[in-house]
Amino acid sequence: MNYDFCLGRRTACVSFWAFLLAAVTLAQTELHPRPIRLPTPQDGLYEGEFHLHRSGTSRVQGMRGFGTEWSRDHHLLWDGLPEEVCKLQFNVRHASRYQLILRCTTAPDYGRFAVRLDGKLLDHEIDLYTPGVELAPPQTLGEFKLSAGIHAINFQLLGANPKASFFREDRYLLGLDYLKLVDLDPDHTTEIKSAVPRWQSSTFKDIQPLLAKHCYRCHGDDVTEGELNLAQLSSKSELVSDLDRLSKIATAIALGEMPPEDEPPLPVEHRQQISFLLKDWLDESLQANTRLANVVMRRLNRYEYNNAVRDLLNLKGDIYPLPERVIRAELPYYDPISGFFPDAVLVGNRTLGKFQVERQILTGVVPFAIDLQAEHGFNNRGQELSISPLLLETFVKLGRSIVSSPEFNAYCQDYAEVFAAPADLDKKTPAESGANAETFAHPRLQNLLSRAFRAPIDHETLHRYLRYFGHEYRKTSSFSQAMKATVAGMLASPRFLYLVEKTPQKQQPTLLSDYELAARLAMFLWSSLPDKELLDTAATGKLHDPEILHTQIRRMLWDRRSQALSENFARQWLRLDQLITAIPDKQRFPTYYSRIGCEYWKFGLQMMIEPLLLFESVLVEDLSIQQLIDSDYSYRSDELQTWYSSPAPFAEKGENGRFNTGQQDFRRRALNSPREGGVITTAAVMTMTSSPLRTSPITRGSWVLSVIFNRPPDPPPDTVPEIEADDDEIEALGLTLRERLKQHQTNASCAACHAKIDPLGFVLENYDAVGRWRDTYRSGLKIDSSGTLFGETEFTDIASFKAALQSRPEVFTRAFSEHLLAYALGRKLQVTDKPAIDKMVRRTLAQDGRFSALIVEIAMSHPFLHKASQPADQDLPDSPPSDVLEK
Amino acid sequence: MYLKRKRMSRRRVLQGAGAALALPLLDLMQTTVASTAAQQPPKRAAFFYVPNGVVQSAWHPTETGEGFALSPTLEPLGKVREKISLYTHLDRVKVAGTDGHAQASTCWLSSAAPDELSPAGYPLKKTLDQIMASVTGQHTAFRSLELSCNPYQDNRESVYFDNISWYGHGHLAQSMRDPEQVFKRLFNVEEQAGQGSILDLVLEDAQSLQQQLGRQDLRKLGEYMESVRTVEQQIQRIRARQTAVQNRGLSLPEEHWTTMRRDEYIQIMGDLMILALRTDLTRVASLMVAPERWGTPLLVHDLFKDPIVHHSMTHGQGNENVRRDLEKLDRYHVQQFAHLVSKMDSIEDGEGSLLDHSMFVFGSGLSSGRTHVYSNLPIVIAGSAHGSIRLNQHHQSLPGTPVANLWLALARSMGVPGERYGDSTGAISLS
Repeated sequence: MNYDFCLGRRTACVSFWAFLLAAVTLAQTELHPRPIRLPTPQDGLYEGEFHLHRSGTSRVQGMRGFGTEWSRDHHLLWDGLPEEVCKLQFNVRHASRYQLILRCTTAPDYGRFAVRLDGKLLDHEIDLYTPGVELAPPQTLGEFKLSAGIHAINFQLLGANPKASFFREDRYLLGLDYLKLVDLDPDHTTEIKSAVPRWQSSTFKDIQPLLAKHCYRCHGDDVTEGELNLAQLSSKSELVSDLDRLSKIATAIALGEMPPEDEPPLPVEHRQQISFLLKDWLDESLQANTRLANVVMRRLNRYEYNNAVRDLLNLKGDIYPLPERVIRAELPYYDPISGFFPDAVLVGNRTLGKFQVERQILTGVVPFAIDLQAEHGFNNRGQELSISPLLLETFVKLGRSIVSSPEFNAYCQDYAEVFAAPADLDKKTPAESGANAETFAHPRLQNLLSRAFRAPIDHETLHRYLRYFGHEYRKTSSFSQAMKATVAGMLASPRFLYLVEKTPQKQQPTLLSDYELAARLAMFLWSSLPDKELLDTAATGKLHDPEILHTQIRRMLWDRRSQALSENFARQWLRLDQLITAIPDKQRFPTYYSRIGCEYWKFGLQMMIEPLLLFESVLVEDLSIQQLIDSDYSYRSDELQTWYSSPAPFAEKGENGRFNTGQQDFRRRALNSPREGGVITTAAVMTMTSSPLRTSPITRGSWVLSVIFNRPPDPPPDTVPEIEADDDEIEALGLTLRERLKQHQTNASCAACHAKIDPLGFVLENYDAVGRWRDTYRSGLKIDSSGTLFGETEFTDIASFKAALQSRPEVFTRAFSEHLLAYALGRKLQVTDKPAIDKMVRRTLAQDGRFSALIVEIAMSHPFLHKASQPADQDLPDSPPSDVLEK
Repeated sequence: MYLKRKRMSRRRVLQGAGAALALPLLDLMQTTVASTAAQQPPKRAAFFYVPNGVVQSAWHPTETGEGFALSPTLEPLGKVREKISLYTHLDRVKVAGTDGHAQASTCWLSSAAPDELSPAGYPLKKTLDQIMASVTGQHTAFRSLELSCNPYQDNRESVYFDNISWYGHGHLAQSMRDPEQVFKRLFNVEEQAGQGSILDLVLEDAQSLQQQLGRQDLRKLGEYMESVRTVEQQIQRIRARQTAVQNRGLSLPEEHWTTMRRDEYIQIMGDLMILALRTDLTRVASLMVAPERWGTPLLVHDLFKDPIVHHSMTHGQGNENVRRDLEKLDRYHVQQFAHLVSKMDSIEDGEGSLLDHSMFVFGSGLSSGRTHVYSNLPIVIAGSAHGSIRLNQHHQSLPGTPVANLWLALARSMGVPGERYGDSTGAISLS
């Protein structure tokens, strides 16, 4: 285990107890009982000491003193008098048939028990007597149909083996290491049937009159908005001749973006008739079409480089400060295998908090420049990640600075095996022992290179590095110096810096090699290199085997390194960086700022953490991704909770040290109002989409369109009228911001786009520029947050808006799948990816939208498992770079 | 005819320019000249990019030709007016499908015609500075130098908003923002030297990959290999210049760039650029004052009390107060340029000043940011590049002349042979 936050087994245990304690304390101090929230393991292994709900005398006992066989080194211990019952509860994630397996501890003073499951007596009686303290072999209790939810398992003390001795005069003990549920029917996937009638019998003749009536006015021979002339597309074959175009038309109609609001409305059944027919044609053509967009080899960005070096050399942590790793926690809290996200986590904001970003980790090691996000994409698109002489220089220096930093030897947990001179290295004169040193270096380099380059290493490459090692060894006479120089070289190699796949020659999509698949998986789930297990699996040539692949994906997702999905994906998906530079006006929103000495800190440092913790908890507890847009809980610091709930937060405080700028507890809070919950209405998003003196509904609407619907609006036209920067000025005219914006949409071309953007911003008008709820504008003017979603569902406020979103779960599922898939592939999606997206959306929905289901679907999707040949870029200029002008 | 200049103190230059600047430690004013003193000093080209266009009414002078009266925005150039020329009525064709701001900066110097689109949709091909560097870079330690005073700590916009220099489409000539890093790269010979043998190793790795890659991957690998070769050359050449550079006794600016005043930051980066040019470490450089659009508020010290958003102001210039503020900001940028021009003019360089042997081009990819106009771009050229550019004139082209005509003329002046540049219709006469 070589990720930064797990510094070895002991710390892992400490943290394990830290959140257990937190959970217990919270449960006890809670005034009103709420339903038990039990951690549910992903792998069906319910640790006695952790996953079970205990009562009575049950407690946790560390077992390290007795041996190392106990799972997680602990078990549950209970004692009682004969006839007394040890009552335990556990949570089942989904209904299925399960085999129940019990693993107990046996000892001289342990009793004999009858077992009841949900009140029903089982055949098994268990006798836990042995002369010594031992871990008993697993016992199968049988097969049971269990519904989703809480179940009870009880152990009644019957007595004890005649040889057993009492515990405390008259009692006997029970020791439970774990309870295991084996799902006997793991494939819950039944594809949902569409409830909506299909118009299979429609033909182009049926829809043409509708198109003529509703579309031709703007997309016809006279006016051709958006360079689309539907009047000229007068047959199916013409419509399917350009699939990108067809997909755009079908989606615009399906989502109610077209026809625009000021046109005569298109009745819902006609809308469906058109869009279903067009989508059918689209799917039909795509099925016949076997093309797949290719990826371009991509360079690591600085987050990925950090992870890759950390994992390659088994370092104790990061190599350089990474401000983009927003959440900083001294005690590790992210442990997805537990299936449990703690009720309270102690965290700070590395990006914006005071003293939260490390000044330096390894002396002299500085990160290279951050790569900018692609427009409506992530900063991992091969096409856009280039390298310059400047960056190459940086990589060469960076690799060297890592291995030669003074802290390196202690920081590298594999130092002894990789860098230290072997004890039996013959210390003659360097020139003579060169060959000897190389013999020792050989296996070490072979291992390192194959992990660094994500594939077995060919003879030629290995010997190139061996020669380099030999050269450095003769120069420095030091084995470890030479090894370090060689590793520095490795870190600057294109085979390390780029994710390289062998390009297939044929046109049809080609299955990735096992090693290529392993590399893609590691980049997707960990932003790093494949680990040993993954490479070993690839070596068997069976990674494409669905069952094996499925196991690996889940293993990786439940590994702590999957926090990269939060740190690298979620942060970019939500565009959270924009909160860094949001500056609400200091006079209007004084409580956003806290002064310490002569510096001001922004409350955004607490806000920013909330959506990320929500994302992580959905991942760890494997909840539905719909929670991301509307959850009944959220993680907030006490001060952030005050921000939302108090009429005047921090009013009693002066600006000096107004709020906590360091680490603090973020607690899970139950939310009771649809005003709160999900990422959209977080103070973070509301603040970063506002300008200093007022909200900015257009920015908000365009954020919702891009992030939540993945339908980024077209870039604004050249003539953008600016409106007042301060809502005071607007309200002085007796107008609301909405009315003022309406005045500015003078022509139809503005209106078409804004009909799509604005309602999504106006519905958020009840949140002021720093994300606090307001019923009216400051001047008392009424807030109008009504609008229409998907061209058919009216909403009046945020509650009905969220209800409308939830009523069409496929919309967010699709958008979120597209974001994740684009991230996983490192390229822009194309219309040819649509069949794969359709499939993953359907199957994810059928699995209750669970996060892990979507991850599995993506990692097993056609575009993820395949690669494609690379067409020449359309008649590209300057290849190779021409040094002279055209003649 | 060139005048030999007296040694001028840095403080005097700055005072003369009317700025209250802290005195940076970089010493531009040393009189020792690069090692090639005996020969004719080389020609240099530098570019100074201002984002979001300028207020048109305050930019354009009413007169054309020689001795034209400076417009309000150009006023800060008064002290050096005999060393500058203004070019107007030069256009770029805006191509639909990409953001107006991104295209403005990224394609400002592009040599692509409007119908030569890269896969990303931009008419983007090797930019003018890189075309020049292909020729001039054969003699210098660094092929070219790209600097940026992008002060923003968030990464709000894509790469196309943040750059003006490209080796080719999709292949960015990455700029540096941190003066300390620029300094170390240019003048810290030790840093460069130790890299040699690693480069051979990784270049062989790259070669071994070649046969298994497709065309687009090969292009990416080409970027890598090209970079390795460039860095190799750089190391050799900088070794050769070692003593000349070390004898200058230069030292680093003390303050970190993120806490510098705005004017200080621009001037420090300008100083570094000038230093690199005068010591002949490179002959082509560009300085992007700020990225396009980027709606993040920025404090411009002493000019405005509160942070401003340049981009929003350009769209709000219909309002008179906003426009007046925007004019102030435009003038401020011209003033920053004027300081650098003065400094270059005060540096002795063979028979004449560094400025006399350079072309230092000021411009923006938008004329007016209000409606993203690409026609009648603002362009000022300082320095005659060894007398090849006529100065002190307002050169007005016929409306609709492609700016490529000017870029073609400048490229030729730097010794790049050729007849066409993108959509050029013929070279503008510089003299």
